[in-house]
Amino acid sequence: MGVTIQVEGLTKRFGSMTAVDAIDFAMEEHEFFSLVGPSGCGKTTTLRCVAGLETADAGRIGIKGTTVYDSSERVDVPTHERSIGMVFQNYAVWPHMSVYHNIAYPLRLKSAGKADQQQRVGHVLAMLGMQQLGERKPSQLSGGQQQRVALGRALVGEPDVLLLDEPLSNLDAKLREHMRVELKRIQRETGIPILYVTHDQLEALAMSDRIAVMNEGRIHQVASPIDIYERPATKFVLDFIGSVNYLPGEVASATGETVTLRVAGGATLTLPRPGFVPESREVLLAVRPEDMVLGQSVTGSDLHAKVELRSFLGNLCEYRLRYQGHELRVQTEKDELVPEGSDVVVGVRRGYLLEATAAQDPMARVS
Amino acid sequence: MTALRRLDSRLVIFVLIAAFVLVIVVYPLVQVLLRSLLVDGSWSWRNYEAVFGRPRNYIALWNSVWVSLAATAVATVIGTLTAFVVQRTDVPFKTVLRFMLILPFAIPPLFAAMGWVQLAGPVGLLTQTWKSLTGAATAPWSIYGAGGIIFVLGITKYPFVFITVAGALQRMDASLEEAARTAGAGTGRIMRDITLPLVRPAILGGALLAFVSCIDNFGIPAVLGLRVQFQVLTTRIYEALTIPDLPLATAMSMLLVLLAGIAVWAMGKFEGRRGEHQIIGGKSIRPHIIRLRRARPWVGLALFAVAFVIVVLPLFALLVTALQPYYGAPLNLETITTRNFEAVLNSSAAQRGIRNSLTLAPIAATILVVVTALLAYLNVKAKVRGAKLLDGIGMMPFALPGSVIGVGMILAWSNPPIGPSLYGTLWIMLVAYLMRYMAYGLRSCRASLMQIHDSLEEAASTSGANRLRTMRDVTLPLMRPGMIAAWVLIFISAYHELTVSALIWSARNETVGVWIFVMQDSGFAGRASALAVAILPIILVMFMITQWLSADRSAI
Repeated sequence: MGVTIQVEGLTKRFGSMTAVDAIDFAMEEHEFFSLVGPSGCGKTTTLRCVAGLETADAGRIGIKGTTVYDSSERVDVPTHERSIGMVFQNYAVWPHMSVYHNIAYPLRLKSAGKADQQQRVGHVLAMLGMQQLGERKPSQLSGGQQQRVALGRALVGEPDVLLLDEPLSNLDAKLREHMRVELKRIQRETGIPILYVTHDQLEALAMSDRIAVMNEGRIHQVASPIDIYERPATKFVLDFIGSVNYLPGEVASATGETVTLRVAGGATLTLPRPGFVPESREVLLAVRPEDMVLGQSVTGSDLHAKVELRSFLGNLCEYRLRYQGHELRVQTEKDELVPEGSDVVVGVRRGYLLEATAAQDPMARVS
Repeated sequence: MTALRRLDSRLVIFVLIAAFVLVIVVYPLVQVLLRSLLVDGSWSWRNYEAVFGRPRNYIALWNSVWVSLAATAVATVIGTLTAFVVQRTDVPFKTVLRFMLILPFAIPPLFAAMGWVQLAGPVGLLTQTWKSLTGAATAPWSIYGAGGIIFVLGITKYPFVFITVAGALQRMDASLEEAARTAGAGTGRIMRDITLPLVRPAILGGALLAFVSCIDNFGIPAVLGLRVQFQVLTTRIYEALTIPDLPLATAMSMLLVLLAGIAVWAMGKFEGRRGEHQIIGGKSIRPHIIRLRRARPWVGLALFAVAFVIVVLPLFALLVTALQPYYGAPLNLETITTRNFEAVLNSSAAQRGIRNSLTLAPIAATILVVVTALLAYLNVKAKVRGAKLLDGIGMMPFALPGSVIGVGMILAWSNPPIGPSLYGTLWIMLVAYLMRYMAYGLRSCRASLMQIHDSLEEAASTSGANRLRTMRDVTLPLMRPGMIAAWVLIFISAYHELTVSALIWSARNETVGVWIFVMQDSGFAGRASALAVAILPIILVMFMITQWLSADRSAI
C-alpha cells in the first residue's frame, strides 16, 4: 500500500494568526480521507496548501512520492504542475464554456487528441449520468448538475488525488444525501484517493475511510469513523462529533467491571467501567443522548428527572429533561414514548469520564 | 526559478503602467498645482489674489457653486421620482421608459443647450407659440442666464441619480418591506419609514455625482451664460485662456479642484457610513410592486411627457433648426432646406473635426482599455502592492473638472522636459482624453474582475493551466463584456468631448465637439445644429450597444 499524500509539520500563518499549526497526516492509496472541523479550524487552508493555491510557511507535502512542497529544500511546485483534481465549494464551473468544454479543459491542456478527448469526456459524462447535457451552458444547469460538471472536470485527467472543498454544502438536503452516495460510488469505481474537507460531521462519518478532526490549526485525532465516534481522543472530538451531555460528579467506587458515580444533586449511577478512570475523585461524566434510557425500572440509577419537551423525529424520539438545573438531551426508540411533564428515572448505558478540570479544555483526554 | 521569472514579468508590467499613470495623470496635475503658486520663479499667492481681486472672478466661483447646487437639486428630484415610479410601480412600457430616461447620458450637454435655445430662446419654437397664443410681446421666461443653466443642467444630469436610485431599489431585499407590512404598515408608511431611509445613501451618492458633473460642465453655461455675461468658473477659465492669462486660469483651476475635492470628500464620508446599509444585498428577490390601478395610464402618460420634454423636444428642435434656412424662420414644409447640411459637411474644418474625433476616440478607448485592464488585474487578482494606489490615482480624473485637465495639458505639454511640444498638435487631445477617461476604464475593468470569483481561476490552475493559459482561457473571456463596455463608453465620451477640447484645440486640429461649439458661438445655429444632427446617430447607436451589453452582463 503506497502513500498518496504525506503531510509533515505543515504550518501556515496569515499575519499573526496561525491557521495551520505543524500538522502531520498520511493518506493511503485508494483512501477517502476527510478533514473535518468547525469553520476557521484550518482544514480548507490545509487543502489549499496541498493544491498549491496557498504557499505554506513550513513543512513538507508529498503527493504520490513526489515532493511538491518542502520549506527546508525550497521546493514549491506550482499548482498546475501538481497531479491533482479539485472541486470547489461554489463549483467554479466556467460560465463561458459548455459542459463538454468545461470537462474537456484539463485534457486540452495536456494536448490530448480530439478523439481521445471525446472518448474520455463521454466516459465521464456517462459516469455522472449527464450524457445529454454536454452542449448546455452552466447557467442552464441546476446546482446539483453544476456540481457534477465540477466533479467531472476534476476526474477527467485521472489525477493522483482528488481534492474536494466542502463540495456538497451548497446543495439542498435531499440532493446532498444523494450526492454523498454518488461520490462514494464514484470513488469506489475509479479507486481515486480523495482528500475531503467538510464541516459536516455526519457527512464525514458517512463517507470517509478515515477522518482527521481539526480544531484551531491542530489535528486532534485521525481514525476510522467508528473509532472517532466511539473512542474520541479529546473533549473537542467528543463534542464536535455527535452530541453529548455533561454531568459533574465524583467516583464513589470502581470495580473491574463497573464504576459508580455520585453526580451533582446526589443521585448515583452505575455504568460499565470505561477505558480509564481519572485519578481525581472529581470527574465529569459525558453521555451521548442515545446512550440513555428512560423508565421506572432502570437498575443502578436513582437519577430522577422531569420531561420538559418531547420532539418526535420520525425514526427516534428526542427528550429534553430537567435534572437539578441541568438539561439532559436523550434519544430513545419511538415505541417507548414518555409524556411531557412526567417524572422519569434516567439510566446510563455507557459514558465517558473526564477530569473535572476538563470542562474548559478542548484538548482534555477522554476515557 | 519559475517564481522569480513570474515575479519579473509582473514587475515589468507594473513599472510600465506606473510610468503611464504618472505621466498621464500626475505630471499635469502637479504642473497645475505648482504653476498656480509660482510667479516669476518664486512662491507666491499672487495668482490667487488675482482671482479674488476682481469681482468677475470670484462671482464666477460663487456662480459655479450655487448654480451647480440648484441644478443638482433639480436633478435629484427628477431622478429620484422617476426611479421610484419606474422601479416600484406597475407603470406601463417600463423598458421603453427606462431607456428614454437614461438617454440624456448619451446626449452631449452642448446639444441640449443648443436645443433649448432653439425651443425657449427669444425666437424659439416654444416662445413663438406662447406669443401667438397669448398675444404677449415677450415670453415670461428667459433661457439665458442662471435660470436656464440650472434647468438645462438639471434635466441633463438627473440620470446619475436615476441610475443609482433605481439600482438600489432593485437590489433591495423585498423581505425588509414585507416585514414592515406584516407589522401593520401601509404602503405610504413603508415608503417613508423603510424604503426611503434605505435608498437615501444612493440618492445622496447620485446627487454628488451629478454635482461634480455640473461643476465640470462647460457647454451649457457657455451657450446659455456667456451671451448675458453670466459667468461660471469653467467659462471664466475659457475666457482667461483666450486672453490669454495662463496664471489666472491656473489659479481658478485649483479652485475648481477644491470644489470637486469637497464633493468627493463628502462622497467618501458616505461610502464609509454605508456599511450600515449592507442589508441591500445582492439577492434578486422581486420587490413589491405598487399597483397604480386607475392612475396607471395617467402616471404612464405623465412620465412619457417628462421623457418627451427632456429627451425628444431638444433633439427635435436641433433637427428643425438644421432644416431651416435661417434660425427663427417660420416653421413650414416649404422652407425646409438641406442647405445647412451641405454647407457644414462640405467645409473642410467640419470634415477635419469629424475625422479627428473618429481617430482620437477609438485610439484613446483602445489604449485605456488595455492599460486599465492590466492595472485592474494587478490590483484585484495579482494583488501587487502599489497597484491599489495606482488605481486610486487613475480614478482621480473622474472627479477632476475638465477645465483643470485642459489647463494641465497646456502647462504640461506646451514645453515638456523631454520630447517635442504637443501643443498645437492633435496628440495633446489624445493625451487629454487618456487622462480624462482613465477612470471609466478602471471602474469597468475592476468591477468585472471582482465579479470573477477567485475559484474560477484556481479551477483552471488545478486543471493544469499555467498563469498565462488561465488568463487567456478564463480571466480574459470573462472580463471581455466589461472591457467592451468600457471601450464604448470612452469612445462615446471622447467622440463629443468639449470642455477640455475647447481649451486646447488649435486651427486644423478641430474636433467635432469644438467645431459645433464654434459654429454655435459664431451665430451659425443652423450649421451647428446640422453637424450635431449628423453625428448624433453614431452616439445613439453606441449608447444602445452599452445598454444591450449591460443587460447581457446581468444575465450571466
